[in-house]
Amino acid sequence: MIKYIVRRLIGAIPVLIGLSIILFAFVHLLPGDPATAILGQHATPERVAKMRAYLGLDLPLWQQYLMYVGGILQGDFGSSVINNQPLLKELMTRFPATIELTLGAMIYAAGVGIPLGRYAARHAQGWSDGAVTVISLVGISIPVFVLGLTLQYIFAVQLDVLPAAGRIDPRANLQIQSNFILIDSLLMGRPDLFIDGISHLILPAIALGSIPLAIIARITRASVLDVSNEDHVRTARAKGLTERRVDGRHIMRNAWLPVVTVLGIQVGGLLAGAVITETVFAWGGVGRFVVEAINNRDYLVVQNTILIFALVFLAVNLIVDILYAFLNPRIRYA
Amino acid sequence: MVRYRLLAAGAIVAIVAAACGQGASPAPATQAPASEAPATQAPASEAPATQAPAETPVAGTPKEGGTFVVAIPGDLNRTDPALVDDANSTYVLSQVLETLVTLKPGTGGEIVPALAESWSISPDGLQYTFKIRQGVKFHDGTDLDAAAVKTNFDRWMTIPQAYVDLGYTYYIDTVITPAVKSVEAPDPTTVVVTLNDANSAFLIQMTLTPFAISSPKALVDGDASAPDFANNKYATGGPPAAVGTGPFTFKSWVPGTEVVLVKNPGYWNAAAGGPYLDQVTFKPITDSTATLNAIQAGEVDLVQAISPVDLATVQSDANLQAIDRGGSCNVGLLAMQSSKPPFDNLKIRQAVAAAVNRQALVDAFFGGAGVVPTTWSPPGTAYAKDVAFPAYDPEAAKQLIAESGVTDLSFDFWYPSDVTRAYMPDPKGEFEAILRDLEAVGFKPNPKTAPWRPDYLAAESTGEYPMWLIGWNCDWLGIDNFLYTAWFGYRGDPYGPNPEFSYKNDAANQAMLDALKATDPAGQEAAWGTALDLVTADMPALPIASAKTPGAAAAYVKGLIPSPTLLEIFQGVWLDK
Amino acid sequence: MAAPAIPAGRSARPAEARASRGLWSDAFRRLLRNGPALVGLFLIALFVLTAALAPVIAPYPPLAGSLADRLQPPTAEHWMGTDMQGRDEFSRVIFGAQVSLVAGVVSVVMGVTIGGLIGALAGGIGGKVDAVLMRVVDVMLSIPGILLAIGIVAWLDRGLPQIMFAVAMVNVPIFARILRGSLLSLREADYVTASRSVGASRGRLLARHMLPNSLTPLIVAATLALATAIIDVAGLGFLGLGPPDPRTPEWGTMLTDSTKFLRQAPWLIIFPGVAIVITAIGFNLLGDGLRESLDPRMKR
Repeated sequence: MIKYIVRRLIGAIPVLIGLSIILFAFVHLLPGDPATAILGQHATPERVAKMRAYLGLDLPLWQQYLMYVGGILQGDFGSSVINNQPLLKELMTRFPATIELTLGAMIYAAGVGIPLGRYAARHAQGWSDGAVTVISLVGISIPVFVLGLTLQYIFAVQLDVLPAAGRIDPRANLQIQSNFILIDSLLMGRPDLFIDGISHLILPAIALGSIPLAIIARITRASVLDVSNEDHVRTARAKGLTERRVDGRHIMRNAWLPVVTVLGIQVGGLLAGAVITETVFAWGGVGRFVVEAINNRDYLVVQNTILIFALVFLAVNLIVDILYAFLNPRIRYA
Repeated sequence: MVRYRLLAAGAIVAIVAAACGQGASPAPATQAPASEAPATQAPASEAPATQAPAETPVAGTPKEGGTFVVAIPGDLNRTDPALVDDANSTYVLSQVLETLVTLKPGTGGEIVPALAESWSISPDGLQYTFKIRQGVKFHDGTDLDAAAVKTNFDRWMTIPQAYVDLGYTYYIDTVITPAVKSVEAPDPTTVVVTLNDANSAFLIQMTLTPFAISSPKALVDGDASAPDFANNKYATGGPPAAVGTGPFTFKSWVPGTEVVLVKNPGYWNAAAGGPYLDQVTFKPITDSTATLNAIQAGEVDLVQAISPVDLATVQSDANLQAIDRGGSCNVGLLAMQSSKPPFDNLKIRQAVAAAVNRQALVDAFFGGAGVVPTTWSPPGTAYAKDVAFPAYDPEAAKQLIAESGVTDLSFDFWYPSDVTRAYMPDPKGEFEAILRDLEAVGFKPNPKTAPWRPDYLAAESTGEYPMWLIGWNCDWLGIDNFLYTAWFGYRGDPYGPNPEFSYKNDAANQAMLDALKATDPAGQEAAWGTALDLVTADMPALPIASAKTPGAAAAYVKGLIPSPTLLEIFQGVWLDK
Repeated sequence: MAAPAIPAGRSARPAEARASRGLWSDAFRRLLRNGPALVGLFLIALFVLTAALAPVIAPYPPLAGSLADRLQPPTAEHWMGTDMQGRDEFSRVIFGAQVSLVAGVVSVVMGVTIGGLIGALAGGIGGKVDAVLMRVVDVMLSIPGILLAIGIVAWLDRGLPQIMFAVAMVNVPIFARILRGSLLSLREADYVTASRSVGASRGRLLARHMLPNSLTPLIVAATLALATAIIDVAGLGFLGLGPPDPRTPEWGTMLTDSTKFLRQAPWLIIFPGVAIVITAIGFNLLGDGLRESLDPRMKR
């Protein structure tokens, strides 16, 4: 197994190199020029030329690329050209926010979606199956921002049971350490702030998690139904095993495969949805940040932030594949 | 001096802006000619009485303490006031750092003493002598004196070229660099600023937050003039960063999340009342609906700017109070590029003006917070007489098109996709309505859009768009600030028409220059009148609306003095809960 | 065995075509017996008919209206009220079917075609081809979808075709991975192993046995993607990257614009929202029906 993981890690290297080239090419393909973007209305030709030199944009592309890769390898992620914050510092404060949000959404999506899908499959064609289908369809059909703003309006404004925006009560003096608010609050021995952090997380996690929830519920249902029709399940049933045992040992063990795949893929979807959710809930994460960076042609920020997104994604998928191998011995190390 | 106010960086739904206004009573003080300035000056002994939010508008004894949470539409950009030019950054930093002179709270142009307890202007208008207040300490414990002020001026005058190239020094470039000849500190309480030319706007320019005085020690410790900006700690969050003399001290900035200020217990002007709040936390929230949800849910105590469509909601909520900032200090424009067809034809520009139903636009999109302009600046601007804009008359518009002889009536018409402004609360909605009006008389506009920053602003300011939506948020309420500085003065580089509009009329430009140099009110009034008539005859754009900038606060917020220019210091603010 | 491989492969084609015609017509017959699928089919037919007959059904042109009539609640005259431009919301929802239908279908078909091709090549051929293609897919997949879409729109400029392409490209790696995943699990399935052992060629195996059996998850994913495609277009609108003509009656953009009026005019959110939900339900019910019909095991 360790050999397999090592091989996968080595396999990730070409992906990262490929990605760095694609990202580099991509930002340079964007119409518009960062120098002009930074200078905005003050962009006289001389100033643009100076700015391009300052940013190193006057060098040949291959040289720029090597400098970019060299910087990353030395742990130098550069700074934003817009507010000049070192990118690493900026990401250290923003990424934890996005991770908390996406983890919250994922827990919600999987925690509700999988049981819902199993339940629907067990009662396939029944009315509760139909109800689950309709619920998940409605969930998937509401754009994140509409759901988010509506949830805010209902639960924060009308019912006043949950906070509307932000990650923690701004009146609480939480000394930010890692910016994982949930962890920080516990480290500080402040369970009240932990609960406050959780209450801030609920609405955005629901808004962000609703689409993956629907997808996970549907895939779980489909997959459980598929496996239920397999010979070995019929055999198990014929052997007189209890329905619970059949479910646990024979159906779910196999039905997990596509579910796990979708979970892995949905991590990408969640990171994407976070862009909009963070805007709606004033979340201060990395999603909104990178959209602004694209608008501003903030090349380094775009390249490196997406590269880190990609690292997270690859890591999650490595875990998914390991789970895969674990769940299905037949394709182990394939 | 103003341009960059428009560029609230990165704000998606940034309703920045100011409503400068006195409504019925214009402020001639704004336009006080240089020779009259000493008259407006407050004697030193009276200074504390004439300034600061001394009079709390609500009855009750202020309560000490509490955290005041303020929603702003976009994040702070840099922690050095000299290097910011957007309304979000100045709104935050004006709580921490103070200027030599300031605007009387709640006014758009009444100058009162601040760190300078008095000033005088030489008869030729070239020398400004400021008397520096004694006993004031910076947040780092060092003393404010004339040398400290001189250090700040010297730094502005020798700001590293790299910062200029980065585009961070807009206010220094436009106010200090061309105007200030030298600065001397003959004794510990006197600063003498010598200008190259007489300039009646200099004093009011000194009220702008970018010219707030920083602690010289902090400037050194923070490497505030580091040749490579990457090494500048003072502007990038410190420590030290933003070390001034204001009622609140800068504590921390987590980009995208919050800026935290804490009470300055040793504030020099405590006699005026306050500061009462222990802490002020600014949270950037870009989406306007999310902002409204946040204040209705009690997450924030003050929303700097709300969308006009939400004004009725705020007014009907017993837990909230609407912040009325008086009159307007902005104008929204339907702009036309005079160098591009078909707008190089006067009759076409006049036809556009007659085709657009401005009253319907204002009624529909401004929620009662806007008016149809009757001149090129907001209502109540001194020296800005009403002019005759073409009335809404589609038949007349068709007639004008026919007379123009122009047959190709198609052109690109642009709107910004991701922004709102007080003068343009719903760009897309207004755009759709204007499209319909234009098509009704036979124009064939081709809809186009781009993100506000940087694409839209870069393109419109260089004259790339034939027709587009734009506008102006003032720095102060003056006709010069709109007609000359923002739009139609010869401010091109090299000297010539502003490429944004390519409006070329030498006589109009000369009239504006005459008005700026005139030393008597009658002369100014006459010259501005001439300029207004000349510009109106050419119709280089159509003013659509002037709007207030409504805000919202929780009902328990007391002592806030709404400012038309958004210069709202929270010194007197307290929480009644 | 090696020598007759080519003729066998050639002769396999007609056989394959016959077989799949049988498979699909069987599936169609099964589909017609599937109640929920028929409901789905009905909803989609309704949706397509609405789109096709929009000019006949809609009481007003989609762009007509006056600011004086804005934000009216539903009345006999305006069944769904009027929007912020005073236009008839009902007529716009009807015309919106055209745009949303085209945007959804085109982007998903584009995505399934490209993604399916990559997935089939990778899962069917395996080995180095698989490794290379999957690394490409990994690279694409590792860029969050909406950022990919924003980049594509920023690169190719605004416009409905560009937006459809962007949404398609977001789905490509997902479809590729799903198809490849199910092909991979089938490779080891007993009947495939059996066919292989009796000498079936790789192409025949892939086309005859593996593809039909592995399409199921792809179809489920594609039907769900139809609903999300409409929403993705709306999301781009929320971020300011929608179609350049803001008047275009597109459900997602209509929703986006209405969020500002959540309090004043909730009907402007409800009606386009319900239209999206109904359409999504239609596609999903049909997708489910197809899944069940295409599953050969259902024959039993």
